Parts: sequence; structure tokens; C-alpha cells
Amino acid sequence: MLQKFIYQEKGLFLQSLHPVASLTLIAAFFLLSLSFSHPYYLLGLLLVILLSLWAAGGLAAWEGYLKAVLWLILLIVLINALVNRSGSTILWNGPELPLFGRLPVTMEAISYGATMGVRLLNMVSAFCLFNLIVHPDRFFSLFSTVARKSVLVVTLATRLFPLLLATLERIREAQQLRGVDFSQGTLRERVMKNAAIFNTLLLSALEDSLQMAEAMQARAFGSGSRSRYRRDIFRPRDAICLAGIGLSLLVSVYSLARGMGTYTYFPELGSLQGSKISLIALAVVLLGLSVPALLNWGCKYWPYLKWKI
Amino acid sequence: MSLFTVENLTYYYPDAAVPSLHSVDLAIEEGEFLLLAGGSGSGKSSLARALTGLIPDFYGGKIGGKVSYQNRDLRSWSRRDLAREVGMVFQDPEKQLVMTGVESEVAFGLENLGLPQAEMFRRVAEVMSFLGLTALKSEFTATLSGGQKQKLALGSVLAMQPYTLILDEPTSQLNPAVAEEFFNLIKRLNEEMNLTIILVEQRLDRCFHLADRVIIMADGTIVQAGPPGETAVWLIKNGLSFVPPVAALFAHAGSTEIPLTVKEGRRLLKRILSCEKCPKEGKEPPELAQQHRPSNDNLLARDPALKANGNAIMAPGPALAQIQEETEHKNQGLVKTNKIISPHHTVVISCTENQTKKPVIEVKNLFFSYLNGRETLRGINLLVNSGEFLAILGENAAGKTTLLKQLVGLLKPSRGRVTVMGRDTRRAAAHELARHIGYLPQNPNDCLFQDTVEEELHFTLTNLNLPDEGRVDRLLGRLGLSHHRHSNPRDLSSGERQRVALAAVLVAAPQLLLLDEPTRSIDYGTKADLGSLLQEITREGSAVVTVTHDVEFAAEYVGRVVMLFDGRIAFDGPKHAALGNSMFYSPQISRLFRGIDSSVLTLREALDRLLSKLSSCS
Repeated sequence: MLQKFIYQEKGLFLQSLHPVASLTLIAAFFLLSLSFSHPYYLLGLLLVILLSLWAAGGLAAWEGYLKAVLWLILLIVLINALVNRSGSTILWNGPELPLFGRLPVTMEAISYGATMGVRLLNMVSAFCLFNLIVHPDRFFSLFSTVARKSVLVVTLATRLFPLLLATLERIREAQQLRGVDFSQGTLRERVMKNAAIFNTLLLSALEDSLQMAEAMQARAFGSGSRSRYRRDIFRPRDAICLAGIGLSLLVSVYSLARGMGTYTYFPELGSLQGSKISLIALAVVLLGLSVPALLNWGCKYWPYLKWKI
Repeated sequence: MSLFTVENLTYYYPDAAVPSLHSVDLAIEEGEFLLLAGGSGSGKSSLARALTGLIPDFYGGKIGGKVSYQNRDLRSWSRRDLAREVGMVFQDPEKQLVMTGVESEVAFGLENLGLPQAEMFRRVAEVMSFLGLTALKSEFTATLSGGQKQKLALGSVLAMQPYTLILDEPTSQLNPAVAEEFFNLIKRLNEEMNLTIILVEQRLDRCFHLADRVIIMADGTIVQAGPPGETAVWLIKNGLSFVPPVAALFAHAGSTEIPLTVKEGRRLLKRILSCEKCPKEGKEPPELAQQHRPSNDNLLARDPALKANGNAIMAPGPALAQIQEETEHKNQGLVKTNKIISPHHTVVISCTENQTKKPVIEVKNLFFSYLNGRETLRGINLLVNSGEFLAILGENAAGKTTLLKQLVGLLKPSRGRVTVMGRDTRRAAAHELARHIGYLPQNPNDCLFQDTVEEELHFTLTNLNLPDEGRVDRLLGRLGLSHHRHSNPRDLSSGERQRVALAAVLVAAPQLLLLDEPTRSIDYGTKADLGSLLQEITREGSAVVTVTHDVEFAAEYVGRVVMLFDGRIAFDGPKHAALGNSMFYSPQISRLFRGIDSSVLTLREALDRLLSKLSSCS
């Protein structure tokens, strides 16, 4: 069931990118989502991320993320609407609460909350894209030169975590079948029952880790300085994608410096009508970021392109 | 000059009072295929680890004597140089894979050796092509099957291009077909690449004949070393059970020629059945069998005890074998079911039995799908009566474990009905059913967490509100665990741990016992003990259902076999009908008699058949 959320080799163009290119793309999505506050820019980014997700065949996985994050977005809008008092266009005067006083709901606060929601959605969607197009080993190998030991610990943890969960489930089942009812008893008793499971898990995990350490030693781990295995090739496709992303980042800096990517929410909403130049800048930013997704689409229908890049 | 020389090696694990290896002397030649066998705790794994330097490097402890590799003391080798020479594959593939992806896993050892990129890439490519792993290169190690994982573990060691390969029970977690494939690969490495192979193994029926030399260990010393044929004779003579069934059969029948494979065995069997002069009577054996000719000429004639009790080889001791035989006579009506071959007769017999016996499991038209929509069980109908011993066989992902979980109430039917001990599992929680059902998980560690063996048993009694009334004492005595009652279960050997887990289940005197792969990673002797114990339990009136890959175990001990294929029951009936007529799910003995007599399944039956033929010929 969880298969669709994790990396699967589908032979996609997006998966064939050098990790530097694919990580730059994800980083750009994150960075720009945090930097822009203009709804057009944020919605445009969402559109490009969705386009990339569609190209990666990940819309079904994204739905799962969306369901989880939608509640959080609603909560953000709601809290903003009730608590944020900086707006001036009052839609509803709200109830009179002790300690808080009257809580007026303003148009500005709702808009601000909604935009923050889109920003959150952008970042979650970018994370979803990351999971679909970057193989964890390639991601880690990119960083293994700078933080060798930490990377190995993280790799081991990602490998062993599902294993631990499976063991935990088995221990719980074994206990149930020896007559333990986890839903019965006082709080203290239930805590004790669960502690017994974790105790068993800890004992097993310690034994297993010794075996793992032994196997690592048998394969010469810690016998001297290590080298790094690289298997990624840098192709024209990576250069084209990086160029697109680079252009988009440059134009973003320009728009932010000129105040085009930002938007005034308080005390009154600014005008949504942008200048011509701001619309052109937005188009360039989005187009640059769409290069990988567009190339993915192009390679799918035009093999010649795929051969050449 | 030998590759490895072990001189007077004695080793104590840290804090151990008894040595795990005691004055071991051994020489291993280059290119040799050595099989190390022995009961659990005999020191075979310790010896293998001493040859890789993991003992004492990784384990610590006290060591005396000397281990040399290429005439140099192992201690003078740097760890990196030694890792380039000697590679080791461990028992559980799950606990030796370090990386998330397949390709990175193969490269892990090479990175540790500090090799340059070009060299690493070449070796990764070579190994992956050789082992046929290329299609899996971008897979996650977690999604591989057990066989693929173990092949990957082998590949990641082979990439380091060692000259010696040490394998510690590499197939104990694999099913028989996959295990055989793995052994063939090892043999190929030995024959084509001249790799020296040191194989520690319990599953001897599939690898005994592959070895150039078999070493038997007991209590930390080498008690026998020699070619497989000679060792088989020695083992039988000494009442030890580490012999493939085919070899055991002919040795018991008094043949001077000891075949080690079904092919050799059939050749010999056909000669005997056609009343040709048997090798026993002095006819010159063929070239192939000549190499296995033992030094003594007639085992049975020399050892009247063996002659009287042909079953001794599969049973732990004469006493138990005798009990087994006596009860077989007593319950002849029951045993009859096993002797029936025609399916029509089977139905008649089971019907008459049903009238006297109580159904403990009734599964009607069971369908089950997991949340991801995968339909794992389809239209299962199953009736199990008290006193029955049933094995569920089938490939991986055939639905065996899912069916077992349905029977214990951990999973509920999507459609259809499961009634266990008269209770509908949809209306009973697993912990409620636990009062009547015992469940032994595959890994005994999953249920061992108390500080002493005794407490482990009391834990079950307390949960189920049952009085002790001497149950714990009796059960510990019966399972031979009395002297361990105050030990920590985690300090015991794997066979003993399993017995503790079983005791913790049996203490509640369940009327139905369910076991998941109970014979994985236990040795022949422990397996025979377990089989006899389970038979005893069924004779006392409880029903036993076991999921297993172990065809030899099923053939020897159970009464009825259910074969699952793709979530459906492909066969349900007495073991003779199931295994005697099967080509792949058949034990060695049955393969030996295939097309000759499909009613022969166990060693005892084969021996009866052979001895009666021999006497009629003479």
C-alpha cells in the first residue's frame, strides 16, 4: 500500500537525471516557495510542481499527501482567520470570548492564511516529488564525501526502520496470542504491557545490530580510508535542466529585488493586477522550472530527443 | 602447503566457562570444498569465524593455539588484506545487507577497501552480471525475496574477489528450491573459479554430495573428517543424524555402497530390485559409487542394535524411537490413513474418522484481501479434527502465513467463515482465542523477553488465569529444559530457545497448536526431537497445524498435507498421496522410489521395502 509513496524505478527521464540536477530542482521549489509571498507566484509554483509530479507519474501518490495536508491547511486558515487581527476588511465580527475579547474575522487574515496554506502545500508536494525521482542511495552518495559517518548512520536507519516496524508487529502478535489484551487494564497496566513489547524489540534489535556489525567488519568496514562509489553520469539533459533552473532562480532574485514576488496583505490587500514586466518575470520563472517536466514529456513522445540528450 | 592450518586451537567466548573450540587441528587445501557439520553449539560456527579472524578480532574472549593462512599467522594479517582473501556470507541475509539499494550494496565492501572508482565499477558490473542481479540494480534491498537477498549478500562478498569463501548456514532462511539453486552456485564457484569453500550447514541432504571432505564437530572438537561417503557410514555407525536420507537408507540396509544423491541411489536401488547380485554380495560396484565405498562391509551385521531399530537414524535416541514404534502399533487405525494411496479410499477413511473426532478448525469458503486489494486467499475450505497433524506447504506468497493468521484470529475473513474451537473468529479477539490455541512464531525471539525460562512459562499462565499445579515442572522436564529453568532464554542456543518458546505456548495445554516454519535454522537432531514431540501432542488429542517449506519434515512426521497455490488449496489429503506422487514437493526417499513404489515416503517404509526385497532375493 505504501509502495506508491516511495521511490520506484520506472525508467523515467526525471529519474535518470544526475542527482545534482534533480536535487537543485527540488531545492529551487523549496526555496522559492519560502521566498515568494505573492499568490500568483505561489500558485504558479504549485502548478509547475504538479506538472512535474504528473510527468513522474506521481499524482496518485500526491493525492495521499494532499489528504494528509489538507486538514493542516484548513487549520492554518482557521487559526489565522480567528487570531490575526491585522486586517481591516471585517467580514464577520466574531463571538465575544472571555480573555480574548471579540475575534473579528477579516478578509486579509483569510487570504494570508490561504496563501500560507498554498506555501505549505508547495513544500509538501516538492517533498513528494523528491521521493519519486531521487533514489535514496544516490542522494546519500552525493553527501557521503562531506559527512561520511552521518550519511552511513542515516542509510542504516532508513534501511532498518521498516525492519524494526515489522519486528514490532510480530512481537505484538506473539503476545496477543499468549493472551495479552492490549486494550484492557488501567493506564499503568497498559503502559506495562506495551513496555514489554519494546523491551523485546530492544533485546532483538541489540542482537541483530551485533550481527550487522560483524557482517560489516567481515567486509572490511573500518579497515582504513574508504573510497566512494559513483555511478551517476552528467549528460546534456542535466546541463539543460540546470540552465533552466538557474535562469529561473536569477529572474526570481530580480523579481524579489524589484518587489514583484511579494504581496501586501495587511492592513489591506494589495492590488493583484501586476505590471507587464512582473508577468513576464513570472512566466520566465515558471518556464525555467518546467524544463525538466517538459523534457520528460518530450522524451516520452520523441525518442530522437531522448537519444540526443 | 595447506591454505589454512589450524593448530591446537582452543577458544573461550568472553565470560564463558566452557571452551567453544577445544584443541582443534585442521588443514585446508586450496580449492577444497569443505562441509562443516554438527549439532547446534558444536563449535562449527566458531571454527568458521576463527578462520576469518572474526574470532577473536570481533568477539574478544580467550584464544590459544594458532590459525595460519598461507603459512602466515592470521594475527599478522591486516584486516584489509585478509578481507581481500577470505570472504564470509552469514546466515540471515536481512542482517548483513547494509545499504538501501542493490548496486550500492555490492559496492559497499569495495568502498571499504578504498578501491579506485574505475576498479569498483568494473567489479560491480562483473559480479552483477555473473549472478544475474543486473535487472535488480535499482531495486531496494528490502523489496527482494529471501533468495535474491542471499544472492546479493554473496555477490557483495564476491565483488571483493576473495580466494576463500566461508558460508555460515547460508540457506537456513530459504525455501528448498531456492536453497538448491544457491548450493549449485557455490559448487560452480568452487569448480570453475577454484574458490576454496568452507560451508557450515544443517541442511545436509542438498549439499553432502557437493563436498570434497566433511568434518563433523561435537563439543568444540573435530570428531570425524573424511570424504562424504566414509563420513556417512561413520555417522550412522555412531547413531548421529547428520546424514542425507538416501545414504542413511542404504547404510541401514547393509549396503557396502553408500550413494549420496538420488541419481546414484536409484541406480543401486534398481539393481537390488531386479535381484541382481547386490554389492553386499560382493559384486564390484560401478566407478561412481566406488569413491563412497566405506571401509567396513556390512554395517547391520556388525551392529545388531541398528538392525533391530531401523528408525534410530531419524529419531533422537532409541528410547523415543521405541515409543514412536509402539504407538504406531497401538494406533494402527490412525496410521492406516497414511498408508492409503488411492484418493477414493482417503475420503472414506476420513469420513469414518470424522464421526469419532471433534473438528477444531472449520474454514468455509474463506476469501481474504489485504487493504491494498491483493486477494491472498480464495475459496479456502478446510476441516481439521482433534488429533490430526497437518502441514501446509506452498511457495512463498502462496498465502500460507495469511491462512495461519486467519486461524489464530489475527486476521478476519473478508468473506466466508473461520470457526476455531467452535468460535467464529470474526466475533473473537486473538487474545480470547489464545486460551485454546497455541501459536509458535517463526522466530522464537519474538516471544522471549522474561529474565528466566521459568518466568516465560508463568507469564502465559498469568495472562490466561491458569493455575500452575505443577504444569511448569512437568513441561520443563518433558522438553529437557529443567536445568535451564533459571537461565535467561536469550543466553540459550537457537534450538533451546525454540523449545522455551514452545514450552511457553504448551504450558496452557492448547487443544490446537499452530506453528510457523518451526524447522528453520534448527539441526537434524533438534528437528527429530520436535517432530516426535509434536506427534506425541497429537496422540494426546490436540491438533497440530504447521506451515513449512521442509518437505522432509512433513514426510517423516505429519499425517496430512495441504498444498496452497496462489491462495487456493491445490491438494488436501494424506501425506502419501500428496508427497508420494509429487515431483518437486517430494522428500529424497520418495524421489528415490518415484515410479517404483509411490507408497514409500519415510525412511522406515523404504527400509522395510528394501529389506523385504533383499530377503526375497536371497
